[in-house]
Amino acid sequence: MCWVCEKYGKGGKWYLNPENFARRLYKIRKEGKEAAGADADPQAAGMGAGVVAELVKARISGDREWENEIKREALEQAYQTHFGQVVTLDEYLQILDTAYPLAKMTCGCRRVQRGMPDEENFTCMGIGPGMYKWERWPETYRGGVEFVTPAEAKEWAMMNHKEGRVQTVDVFGTPYIGGLCQCEYPGCVAVRNRIDYDFKFLLKGHFVAKVDREKCTGCKSCLGRCQFKALNLEVYTSKAYIDLDQCFGCGLCVTACPSGAIQLLDRQSMPGLAENW
Amino acid sequence: MIAQINIDYALCRDPLNCRKCLSVCPSVVFVCGPTKVWKGQESDSREYKIFGRYYDKCSGCGDCVKVCPANAVQLNFVPREQLARKFREERAAQLKER
Repeated sequence: MCWVCEKYGKGGKWYLNPENFARRLYKIRKEGKEAAGADADPQAAGMGAGVVAELVKARISGDREWENEIKREALEQAYQTHFGQVVTLDEYLQILDTAYPLAKMTCGCRRVQRGMPDEENFTCMGIGPGMYKWERWPETYRGGVEFVTPAEAKEWAMMNHKEGRVQTVDVFGTPYIGGLCQCEYPGCVAVRNRIDYDFKFLLKGHFVAKVDREKCTGCKSCLGRCQFKALNLEVYTSKAYIDLDQCFGCGLCVTACPSGAIQLLDRQSMPGLAENW
Repeated sequence: MIAQINIDYALCRDPLNCRKCLSVCPSVVFVCGPTKVWKGQESDSREYKIFGRYYDKCSGCGDCVKVCPANAVQLNFVPREQLARKFREERAAQLKER
């Protein structure tokens, strides 16, 4: 179990525990200064990007201790307030039965990093009572929101999985889950910062994908599905290769395999990976 | 060498609507974030600002300079060690203040 489950899972996975979807309405922000236009840091735009500028500096300086300190302090804060974890499609669908209300919204990361126009950028899902108040701060939900039924949400999630997006749960005030992302590298700031700077704002999921080398035919259907740079073709044996250390357990490669040669295993069942979140 | 990306904000006036540099960059170096957030209304697209946030990933291809309709992007390269020294000095000053 990951540390979030130990603390908030009640014996199971934390993001399948209904309590973590049902918090009181969060506080109403004050009138006054904020209403008149609060200052925002444009460089911090995107999920978990507040310390990127500092991280890049530390990385260039070559000072590992500095880099580690930035991460340690930022993550201590993030784990109490706002972070994410990769989940599988099955888990995502289960969550859509638990969380309510469900509202499609635009992806803030791809807007600020790629300038995706709002009408082409509906891939995230806002959930929970906070969504009833989305009009108070429409910039967070730029382009508006579209409330959907659980059945519509599931259909949409399956389409996103098919198209190749990684699904994650996102915390807004630990352990309250207020969002479900469907992301990709490098458009997703959280995925990008994890892969490029090993910034653990986004946690790996509870599974890892393993190739059955007997069953793999080398058809290459899975190539291009991995958003975490963990999958390639072993050319000399013509088999798919998954770097298990690098695998986030999203399952995108699993559903692409026509031979059933990739299996999701419980991370906890693999002693070498059990602590690798 | 490491890129130094300068944006002339007097020339880059409506970055979120323009978004040409965001869209063309092969390394997704840029970010365009809001400088103001309002209650009850979306921020105006002109309240957004472009930064070369991941400048350490810039290859120097120059597509952003070419694509900018306002000539607002300037791209220079400095030796990595020069920049590293500067940041290490900043860090040392930071530690001293503690």
